[in-house]
Amino acid sequence: MFGSIFRFELFYQLRNPVFIVTALIFFLLTFGAVTLEDIQIGSGGNIHVNSPYAIAQTVLIMSLFYMFATTAFVANVVVRDDESGFGPMVRSTRVSKFDYLLGRFTGAFVAALAGFASVPLAMLIGSQMPWLDQETLGPTALGHYVHAFFVFGAPNVLITSAIFFAVACVARSMMLSYVGVVVFLVLYFLLTGLAGSQPEYRDTIALFEPFGLGAFSDVTRYWSAEESNNLVAAFEGSVAYNRGLVLMLSMLAFSVAFWRYSFSEKGMSARQLKKDANREKKEALVAPNVVSRLPVPNQAASASARLLARTRLETGMIFKSPAFFVLILLGLTNSGGALWFANELYGTPSVPMTFALILPLLGSFGIIPIIIAIYFAGELVWRDRERGMNELIDSTALPNWAYFIPKVIAVSAVLIVTLFIASLAAIFVQLLRGYVDLELHKYFFWFILPFAVDMLMIAILAVFLQSLSSSKYVGWGLMAIYLVASITLVSIGFEHPLYNFGETGFVRVSDMNGTDVGGAKSWWLRLYWSGVCLILSVLSYLFWRRGVGISIASQIRRFPSRFKGAPAGVAFAGLLVSATSGAWLFYQMNVISEYVTSDEVEERLADYEKSFLQYEGVGQPSITSVELNVDLFPADDKAYFEGTYQLINDTGAPVNELHVVFQDGYSELVNIDIPSATLTLDEGEDYGYQIFALEQPMLPGEEMTVTFQSERIKKALRTSDEDSRLVKNGIFLNNSEFAPQFGFDRSVLLQDRATRRKYDLPAELRMPKLEDEAARERNYVGNVDWVMSDITVTTSADQTPVAPGKVVSDRIEGDRRVVRFQSTNPILGFFSIQSADYSATSRQHDGIELEIYHHPTHAFNAERMLDAMAVSLDYFQKNFGPYQFDHARIIEFPGYASFAQAFAGTVPYSERIGFIANAADGNDIDYVTYVTAHEYGHQYWAHQLISAYMQGGTMLVETMAQYSALMVMKQMYGEEQIRRFLKYELDAYLSARGGEVIEELPLYRVENQGYIHYRKGAVVMYLLQDRLGEDRVNRMLAALLEQYRFKGQPYATTIDLVAGFKQLARDDSERRLVADLLEEITLYDFSVVDATVRPLPEGGFETTFIASVKKMYADGEGAEQDAEFNNLVDVGAFTKRPDYDVLEPEDVLLFEMRPMKSGQQSIVIVTAEKPLFIGIDPYSKFVDRKGDDNIIEVSES
Amino acid sequence: MLSLNGVTHVYPNGTRALDDINLVIPKGMFGLLGPNGAGKSTLMRSVATLQTPTSGMMSFDGINIEAEPEKIRARLGYLPQDFGVYPRVTAYDLLDHMAVLKGIATKSERRDTVETLLAQVNLWEVRKKAIAGFSGGMRQRFGIAQALIGNPDLIITDEPTAGLDPEERNRFLNLLAEIGENVVVILSTHIVEDVADLCPRMAVIVAGQVQLEGAPDDLIAASKGSIWEKTIARAQMSDYAEQFNIISSRLQAGRSVIHIMSDSDPGSGFVSVDGGLEDVYFTTLAKTREEAATSAINE
Repeated sequence: MFGSIFRFELFYQLRNPVFIVTALIFFLLTFGAVTLEDIQIGSGGNIHVNSPYAIAQTVLIMSLFYMFATTAFVANVVVRDDESGFGPMVRSTRVSKFDYLLGRFTGAFVAALAGFASVPLAMLIGSQMPWLDQETLGPTALGHYVHAFFVFGAPNVLITSAIFFAVACVARSMMLSYVGVVVFLVLYFLLTGLAGSQPEYRDTIALFEPFGLGAFSDVTRYWSAEESNNLVAAFEGSVAYNRGLVLMLSMLAFSVAFWRYSFSEKGMSARQLKKDANREKKEALVAPNVVSRLPVPNQAASASARLLARTRLETGMIFKSPAFFVLILLGLTNSGGALWFANELYGTPSVPMTFALILPLLGSFGIIPIIIAIYFAGELVWRDRERGMNELIDSTALPNWAYFIPKVIAVSAVLIVTLFIASLAAIFVQLLRGYVDLELHKYFFWFILPFAVDMLMIAILAVFLQSLSSSKYVGWGLMAIYLVASITLVSIGFEHPLYNFGETGFVRVSDMNGTDVGGAKSWWLRLYWSGVCLILSVLSYLFWRRGVGISIASQIRRFPSRFKGAPAGVAFAGLLVSATSGAWLFYQMNVISEYVTSDEVEERLADYEKSFLQYEGVGQPSITSVELNVDLFPADDKAYFEGTYQLINDTGAPVNELHVVFQDGYSELVNIDIPSATLTLDEGEDYGYQIFALEQPMLPGEEMTVTFQSERIKKALRTSDEDSRLVKNGIFLNNSEFAPQFGFDRSVLLQDRATRRKYDLPAELRMPKLEDEAARERNYVGNVDWVMSDITVTTSADQTPVAPGKVVSDRIEGDRRVVRFQSTNPILGFFSIQSADYSATSRQHDGIELEIYHHPTHAFNAERMLDAMAVSLDYFQKNFGPYQFDHARIIEFPGYASFAQAFAGTVPYSERIGFIANAADGNDIDYVTYVTAHEYGHQYWAHQLISAYMQGGTMLVETMAQYSALMVMKQMYGEEQIRRFLKYELDAYLSARGGEVIEELPLYRVENQGYIHYRKGAVVMYLLQDRLGEDRVNRMLAALLEQYRFKGQPYATTIDLVAGFKQLARDDSERRLVADLLEEITLYDFSVVDATVRPLPEGGFETTFIASVKKMYADGEGAEQDAEFNNLVDVGAFTKRPDYDVLEPEDVLLFEMRPMKSGQQSIVIVTAEKPLFIGIDPYSKFVDRKGDDNIIEVSES
Repeated sequence: MLSLNGVTHVYPNGTRALDDINLVIPKGMFGLLGPNGAGKSTLMRSVATLQTPTSGMMSFDGINIEAEPEKIRARLGYLPQDFGVYPRVTAYDLLDHMAVLKGIATKSERRDTVETLLAQVNLWEVRKKAIAGFSGGMRQRFGIAQALIGNPDLIITDEPTAGLDPEERNRFLNLLAEIGENVVVILSTHIVEDVADLCPRMAVIVAGQVQLEGAPDDLIAASKGSIWEKTIARAQMSDYAEQFNIISSRLQAGRSVIHIMSDSDPGSGFVSVDGGLEDVYFTTLAKTREEAATSAINE
């Protein structure tokens, strides 16, 4: 019996259009992901598109979405017979319930599985497509597809089949089953989202996360590109455990289905019956109000009643729809996590200021209104027809406008409510965090209002397309095409907002600068698109098919005769609005500004490289002094610059030509005056590159004065990003954005390998090798020299200008504030100019003026920053040498970027980090102090010693600043906070390794790779000072600083630094450690097994355990090779597990170094108290991918 | 007065649903009789402005239906053959909503309208119940209630008695009869008794063509003397079917009573009976079938 039911079900399902449609959709989705550059799942960097990692990742992600398809299969089994009325007949036959359910379930499951096979199939076929970049492909291995399908795909399809089969058996409705899917997804994202953001829950997730994503990422987290390309996540360990659990859960779900599924139908409950009876009794007492003659219609007077009634009906339809609540719930849970963890860094929360919550709110909730607009546009347009009420309604005297307008009003009303709900969620988070300065107007003007308009436009488009479509599904399909097209068109170079429907640009909100950047453009575009929407509305109204069997073709034929009167008037009004605003925008964007697509930008950069890279080695004189007059007009978006450079030919050879580089797209070089020179190559317009031939060669040691004028004026709106540097409040410019530089500079060149190949450039442009002495002529910052500066900045009187240098005068002249800044010693010719309406918090510290310039409402961390500056400067002056300024300034800039950057004595600091951190909880990592200390570390490492532009260059600047900050933190908070901080750094380093595109390099040869010079650098430097001694390391570093302080070419290299560390090493094991950490890519694997403790007769406890040690060297691709370990390692005994939680001193019973070797060894320690946990390298000072097995719970012997 | 001139409708798939329909329908009840698929619903929908015929001219009181559908809709009450309702909406609320759509502008007028009609169609007791849960008859009564909103002068009912039990059907027909004196009421049906009981005028439409038109009494009188009846055993049915042109048969106490059409006495024990409207109708159907068969052979 089971067999025949199974076969029947399977063949029924396979013949069902649902099967073909889902298989097709998933095939296309996957095929797109494999073959389109813009969509990538699991691949990227050096990881192949068809690597086993990418295959498994794709199968996993797709299986999550496939839940919706699975449910269609299995819920259909249950619901079908009820809906067709066939159910009672089937159930009255002799088939047993078990055979019936299991047979049909298995049939549907196998059909669903067959449909899911389209995913690996699409990957297999997609990866053979000829247009794929061959470098992104590995060899085809069928086994990888089979493995991913059976280990990850099949169990996921099974568990979703079983769960939603059970749901359908209980609910007996397709709609409720889908509600079940959404509720399940919400819970799933909620739980994994909450837990996933906390690394300490990773193990739990790996085991219990029902789709194997957790287990998969547990296994593959620190895989290198090479491992990702060659290994499959084997069916063992957490993968096997998780998959087994999924099987059991599936069986459990099926049992529930079996238990709950009833062959007979249920009646009403007694309580409900009684309630109904009571109500009926009451109703029976009311008599109808009968009139002898029915009132007659009054068409003219009923317009408002009709509008109201229709709108109320349409709105009610949405609000009462379960789908609406499910969508809102989905949005809220998704955004809940995003809002709660918004701007969190190193586990430290932020002050939930309104401006800072709007971005995460958009990111996590933004898709919901779009779905609501699209989904309900289809539902509302087709509802009367689907309900069979269209003939009743269409034959009434309801005017045609009363179809279209109420639907649009209803969708808009719902959208606005949705946006209000989202805002309430954010407000709820603010209150929960104890933050009460809600700034409601910002929610309204920065979020609700603009997005309501944007969503309304999408709703009108959706209703319009539905009114043209032959069915709801066609309409939805058209909207899906619109959404995909709006993404892909932009990515293939059709970027103009005047033809991308509903495009209003992206406005980044800032407390300092409001919606100044992009705000005006977005409202102009909204005006333009509103006109288009009016036209669409009229078309929608005229094409509306009232009645039955009316084709769109006949509506179009009738269009000319109906296009008159009010509709024509509205359409012409729309045309007028769009045409005039469009013409104005076109004039702004294409005539005054230049419309350049990102492809054209890339092409231009490629051409620039091809034409001018040849000049990279051309010797250029150095700048020795800079005089700048900067006039800022924030309110008018204008700035004027005048500068005078003193040059000296320090190249040792005659200089025949000057290469003037001025490449900022928003500024213009008005004039440059080079004495006795002729312009021989003028590519200033396209490439910002000019060559001036000197009539008399500039001899070595000869000096010269060059003057220039430039300006930066926001003349018009642009299609691309607006200038976010010269703004109304919060100007932040650096000199490369307004002043000419001398000599070719690489910093603007194309980076991405695929892009470079596309333009026939070598895939990568590597840094000069460490051994390349010639490269020491140029430093890390570029063509920047040690200069004396004299900068006068004027701005509007209500703003405070800040630039590097000592303030020598500060006065108000009329409505202008004029401040003059002079350097007192050489600084790098790389400076920032800032101006905003600041509040200042300052403090005198040992003759140094510490100042924080911040937005008036952003004073939360000003004192903390001052403390951090004071402690940092004390530590640095004691250990590294003198601080070169009598001031130290931190200056806030609008959050258009999230970084802090060190200029001479001044540190521009984004409003999105630091200023709004909430480090009030003493146990959280105080990254405000950390970042401040890091940037002030740069006053030594960059602004005293600057490294050469070559391998290892960033280590001398960034790793050393990391080290400086770590030492400050250690002094302020003790080793305990460093331990937890380094866990984040180590994790970031290990996670980023796999994404390396070129090759991973040892620290001392790092080629500006952030994950190495910041992340690994912090871990390595901490271990080095731990082993070699903080004071000894500092003395060595101070000597290095002394050697290079303010020195020009040849610039410093890591060869000196490595030599310094080697000198500090006192024995072979220390020398080995230095070499391993700096000159190799070394990975360690420590673990502990079998720890037992016994009390000693003389008191105290003896713990014995087996320590296992491994050391490996990795090459640039991540291939590993075992190496001998013979060194000291920390051993610790604890009463509490040292993980992401705070460890108190009394939790640590013993902490000391012991010698260890590769392989296993037995270690015995004695402690006064009984340890609960013991570990080797328990604080993860070494680079160890599995820090968790370093620690073990002690068992009694 | 509703007049239809040469109304023809051809569906995109080639089906000729209406073929040169010419009818003049005066005030009062008008029965439109025809088998399923004869084109009645297409005709009803066309008159109700829901469909545009391929060709032909329809007018009501001088208003061209195709050119000015709004004017027709303002005077129209239409009960489609089959309709659905919004879920979870009560009879009271939905009728109120329909009253708004039909242009009953004020709240108090709507209250009068809704309560009077609900009482009239006997749905007052269940006014607070969701219509989606109504039986076919109750739903049909709701349908007529909404068709009567605002005193329309043109009422079109398409198969209104289908699915009604005899009592409901009676009540429904009485309601129609009451209204049908001063306005045009078209009762489209395949049930002969509906027409026989109510309509002073009628037409039979088969395969998209008007086959017969007139007052039922006149049509019955014209058929006098040509209808013959005989009661036979059920087993004999096939023999008789070969020999005679049976226009109808029904069972009575286990035996078949058959009617045949013949201008003279067919013999074999047939007795002449006074034909009813049913016989007229079936005769027409039989004739049409015959013609169709002949023309098929001739082609």
